[in-house]
Formats: sequence, structure tokens, C-alpha cells
Amino acid sequence: MANTITIEPVTRIEGHAKVTIRVDDAGKVSEARMHVNEFRGFEKFCEGRLFFEMPLITQRICGICPVSHHLASTKACDAIVGLEVPRPAGLLRELMHMGQFIQSHALHLFHLASPDLLLGFDADPAIRNVVGVIGANPELALKGVGLRKYGQEVIRKLGGKRIHPFDGASPTSMNKGLSAADREELRRGIDRVVGDFQQAVAVVKGYAAQNESLMSSFATFPSGYMGLVDGKGQLELYDGRIRLLGPDLKPWEPDFAPADYLKHIGEHVEDWSYLKFPFYRKLGYPAGTYRVGPLARLNLCRGISTPLARAEWKQFKALGSGGAVEGSLFFHLARVIEGLFAAERARELLDDSDITVSETITLGPVKNAAGVGVVEAPRGTLIHNYWVDENGRLEKVNLIVSTGHNNWAMNRAVNEVAKAFVDGSRLTEGMLNRVEAAIRCYDPCLSCSTHAIGQMPLVLELEGPDGRVMDRKARGGG
Amino acid sequence: MPRTGAFTADGKPKVAVYKFSSCDGCQLAILNLEDQLLDLVGAIEVAYFVEARRRELPPPYAIGLVEGSVSTPEEEERIHKIRRDCDFLVTIGACATSGGIQALRNWADVEEFTRYVYAYPEYIKALDTATPIAAHVFVDFELRGCPVNRFQILELVAATLAGRKPAIPTYSLCIECKRRGVSCRLVSAGKPCLGPVTQAGCGALCPAYNRACYGCFGPMELPNVDSLGERFIGLGYSPAEITRMLRSFNGYVEPFKQASDRYAQRD
Repeated sequence: MANTITIEPVTRIEGHAKVTIRVDDAGKVSEARMHVNEFRGFEKFCEGRLFFEMPLITQRICGICPVSHHLASTKACDAIVGLEVPRPAGLLRELMHMGQFIQSHALHLFHLASPDLLLGFDADPAIRNVVGVIGANPELALKGVGLRKYGQEVIRKLGGKRIHPFDGASPTSMNKGLSAADREELRRGIDRVVGDFQQAVAVVKGYAAQNESLMSSFATFPSGYMGLVDGKGQLELYDGRIRLLGPDLKPWEPDFAPADYLKHIGEHVEDWSYLKFPFYRKLGYPAGTYRVGPLARLNLCRGISTPLARAEWKQFKALGSGGAVEGSLFFHLARVIEGLFAAERARELLDDSDITVSETITLGPVKNAAGVGVVEAPRGTLIHNYWVDENGRLEKVNLIVSTGHNNWAMNRAVNEVAKAFVDGSRLTEGMLNRVEAAIRCYDPCLSCSTHAIGQMPLVLELEGPDGRVMDRKARGGG
Repeated sequence: MPRTGAFTADGKPKVAVYKFSSCDGCQLAILNLEDQLLDLVGAIEVAYFVEARRRELPPPYAIGLVEGSVSTPEEEERIHKIRRDCDFLVTIGACATSGGIQALRNWADVEEFTRYVYAYPEYIKALDTATPIAAHVFVDFELRGCPVNRFQILELVAATLAGRKPAIPTYSLCIECKRRGVSCRLVSAGKPCLGPVTQAGCGALCPAYNRACYGCFGPMELPNVDSLGERFIGLGYSPAEITRMLRSFNGYVEPFKQASDRYAQRD
């Protein structure tokens, strides 16, 4: 008798998810799906608000990466006002963004992913958590805490508080400058942050070397890749052009301006998930599906501007022997290399003499009826697009979040893992863990992805070919 | 009285953390306790916390911390079980306490929302409203803020461990401004500051950076919203603008909701 397995909620991801696995009469997995079901409705309830309120409102989409929404939103507002951002404000915003990367990537590695990496997929769930990591490797755990604290401190110094910083950036400028004393304090701590990320890279590389066959087989598949690059085609997180490459790393489209995203990106809808599936328009769905985030960014860039991260990136590229690195578990390695880049880049920004210059520009009148703001959030490309009337009242809002771009890839990863590890006849703890671990590679942010709809613990349901639920494993969820 | 099962064999209170429709920021404030988190781990037993760990201990729990608002039929059912499972139920943050920013949809047509965003809106099972937890079950204590002040969570847990009332102020933000020596945004700068009707707890963050308070901690005890609204009118703001200011992160909590509805009618 065929079955469906549901895992709910998926733990140690941001937010909640549900996975159903359908098996055929022979007990083999025929299809697995990750469902996202929660409704908040940001795009609609923002209509009628004033555009300059958006940097504060949209950061409430997500408590994990409020800075990303804050900055993407601010950039969209800049475009509406049509003013150039003064250089010091640009530096401060980028510094805030680096603080966000440091804290978010550290959170994912130390709190969410390291229990799998350090303790193994089959470890007793009683110890396979952040407390277990503290027990197994207290030094590493403390480093994780320290890195997060530093990143959060950068955000707090520039935006007043750690979560939902208020108006750190307002259209065309920053509300708050960086004092000489705060700059000194951050500079004193930054070398240690760089060093700790180097160690974190070493830990993940060590894991990858010891688990070579798992790394190359676990949820490994070709896809397109999308992300921002700077003028030289190097890794860029704050501002640049969008690069979209095929599975062979050849361009699907010449690098394009963020404002042109609608020409190239379409969104597919499935009736079983509230989260849409973006794709490259020319190829259609699913041929034009792509991945975003750390793995995509390191695959598509032509280099990294900072020396330590560049050296690690070269080794990373060698893993793909000229082609793309496709294994989902390599997201973890790419993520710590990006953390190292963010730390090095923060150091450069803190050394820039313009960073303490305070210069303000008064918010101008509405110049353009629409504005697009794009940044690379820790999880991937984040797009905010607003349309306003002549008084600055919002007429339409479109948001495409990082986790949305990876929706197809997460489903693909779940499918690969379910087919490899799930035996249709029974549910085991290790099996559930592997399905969860596949999703966790993408560090999905379900608050972001459900900004429109909302909620996602993971249920695993075993479903027959007729769709009847035969078995169900639900943890938490209430 | 707490049930005996709400404590571990060695006497630690079992604590559960739940998420409803929200951004995760308030749960994250718990992880942001960092150093204090390491100490806290010794004093309490985190029995249920999906974002942080897989293991869970069965209910009952001594303390339940709830983030998020009720916005789906599943959530509407789930909160009742959680109430039964927890001896002391605390809402953390603006969503759980007042419905949060997503409660703005309560003034609109949800079907129109889903149709706007999704090609197949019929698959979306969302309630017409996003409502605070207290609209569904009895809540023992509320922690305000968008997000919650993490030190207030620490104070709440510490107070509960010690068997005393948490020292959480219910007066207005103005008191914190005066203590911090911040010049008045409303009187001196003529800015539309919601501080006089907003509960303290943030440390007067925005005014300290020359910005008017936008009320993310929600209404103080017995606020006089109309009096402040009239002052805003005197400053040249229209009823529509006052409605917009009141309807933000805590717009659906009674004092702000009632006042915003009155100003909306005057528009």
C-alpha cells in the first residue's frame, strides 16, 4: 500500500514548513514536496501608505534579516526620489549590511547547521541542538556567540537596536552617523571576527574533506544561478548588476540592471504552496529555474575583492573542476566564505575615512512613479518594487524574497534526499533529519517567504498514490 | 498553582516557545540573549522551541512564550491546546499582543489580498483577520514591542523563577525620555510623536536619535489618544494622517484601534 510521509514542523529553520512524500505501490518515493502555508499580506496592506514608511514597515517581514528588507526598501525609495546617495551614507549602509551578513551567517552555522555537521544526522535528538554543540565544542560555540554579537552590535550602532533597527537608513541618506568612538570600538573587534570566520571556514572545509562522498551526492543537481556582481564581475552584496547564468555557468542573459528584473523574472504558482516559484522568462518553468544565495553567488562571481575570502573562493571553485559546485551541502561552505568576505569588507569600510563624515540630504519630492531596490540578502537576491502616485502614496508593491527564488531548488533537494534515504515502509528519525537537513542547506527564511501568506513548521506526511495520508510524523506544530 | 509536571525532576521550570504568524524577530530576541542564554540554560529547561532545537519534552509547561498573531484556521485551534499546556502564558511582542502589522488587513478585504498576490486564491486558508492571542484565550502577561525588548524577557523569566511580579513599566515613553534627558520631540520639535500614549520599555530609542516615536510598544495603561490627536491636528496633521500613524505595528489594539476608527470617520 502506497503512503505519504509528512514532516512537520521542520526544526532549526527560520519559520515553519511541511513536507509530504508520496510513495508508489512498490514503496518507492514518487514525489516529495515542501509546502509553505502562512498569510500576512504585506504587498496589499502597504497600499495607500506613504513610500517613505516602507523601510520601517517592510523590515517587519522578517526578524532574521530586517536589515536586508530595510536596505532594499530604502534603495527603492531612493529611486522614487531620484537622488544620488552621498558616499558616506552608502558606506554606512554597506557596513550595516556586512553586520547583517556576519550575524546571519554566524547564526545559521552555529545555531542551525552545526548540530548536523558536528554531531551527525543520526545523533540523539536530545543532544543534536545548539546546547549539544556547546557541549561538544564549547570554543566553537562561544565563537559563534561572539560573531553574532559583533554583527548585531554593528547594526545596533548604526540603527539603534538589533532587530528592526529604526530608520538606520532613510531614503537617500542615513539618519544616524558613526561616531569616531563607535568606529574605534568596532575596529578593535574586527580582526578577531575575521580570524573566527577563518576558523569557521577551516571547520566546514574539514567536514567537507571527511565527508566527500556525502557532500558530492547529497541533494546535488544542476540549476541556473542568480546574484549581484560588481563592475568587475566580483562578489557583490549591496549594490551592483544582476547576473543570471545557466547550469554550465554560461550567461542566460547579459548582466542586467536591477530595475529590469520584471523583463527577465517570472513567477510560477502551484496550488499546494503559498510560495511562488520564480523562473527565467525566456526558458519558462521549470527549465528556467535557478538558485540564489551563497552557493549561487560563489558559483557565478569571477572573484572576490578581499584577499582571504578570495583565496578560499579559489579552492571552492576548484571543487567544481571548472564547472559549478552543485551539492546543496556546499551552501554551508559558501556561507562561511561569504562570512569571511563580509568581515574583511567591514574592516575596509571601517578604515575608510569617509565613514564618519555626516552628511544629510533632505527627502525630496516624488520624481519617479516607480522604484526598484535590490540587495543580496544573506539568503539571496531580494527585490522590492514600489509604484506611487504624485503624493508618494503607494499604489502597488511587489516583493520577491530570497527564499522564494530557492523554492524550486528546495523542493528538488527534498525530492533527491527523499528518493535516496526514505524507505516507504517506515519512518526513521535519521530519515526525517536528512530531509530537514536538505532544506536547512538553503537556510530558508519562512517569515520572509510567507510575508504574503504565513507559517511553516515541518510536517512529514506519507501519502498513497491516491493521495490518502497513511502515516504522519509531526513534531511541535501544537 | 503550577502543575508538578511543569517542572523537571531536578526542579527546573519547563519553558515552551511558540510561533504564530510573525517575523520570528521576538523569538530571535531570545537567542540574542547570548551570554545570558548560556546562564539561563542552567536555570530553566527549554522544553519546546522549534526554531532552536529538535527535542521536545511533553507538556505541561511552567511558562509558555507566544510570538505572532492568529491568522489561519489552524492557528485558531492550536492556541487553545497551548493554553491548556502552559501554566503561565505570556505573549511576546506586538503581533501576539496586538495583532501586529499584518492586522492592517483587518480593515481590508482579505479575499482581495489573496487574489492580488496569488493566482489560485481559493487554496489559501487564511482567516479574515489577524488577531492578538488575547482575543482567543486568557493571557497571563504581555510583553510589548516590535520586537520585544530581550531584557524584558529575561526579567520575566527571572521574576517567575523567583515567584515575584515582573518589573515591567506600564507608564508612557515620556518618562524614559525625561530620564534620558532627551528634549521633547512633540513640544520642542513639533514632531508627531506617539510617545505620550505609548508604553515605555524601549529606552526612548527613537527620540534619542531625534526621531518621533511611532508607537511600536503599543498603548500605555489608560492612554488619552484623543487629546494627543487634537494636538497633532493643531500641528497641521489631517485626520487621515493621524489614522495612518495609529494604524501601524499596534494598530489593532483597542485604544489605538478605536481612536483610528474615529479619525478615519472624520476624514
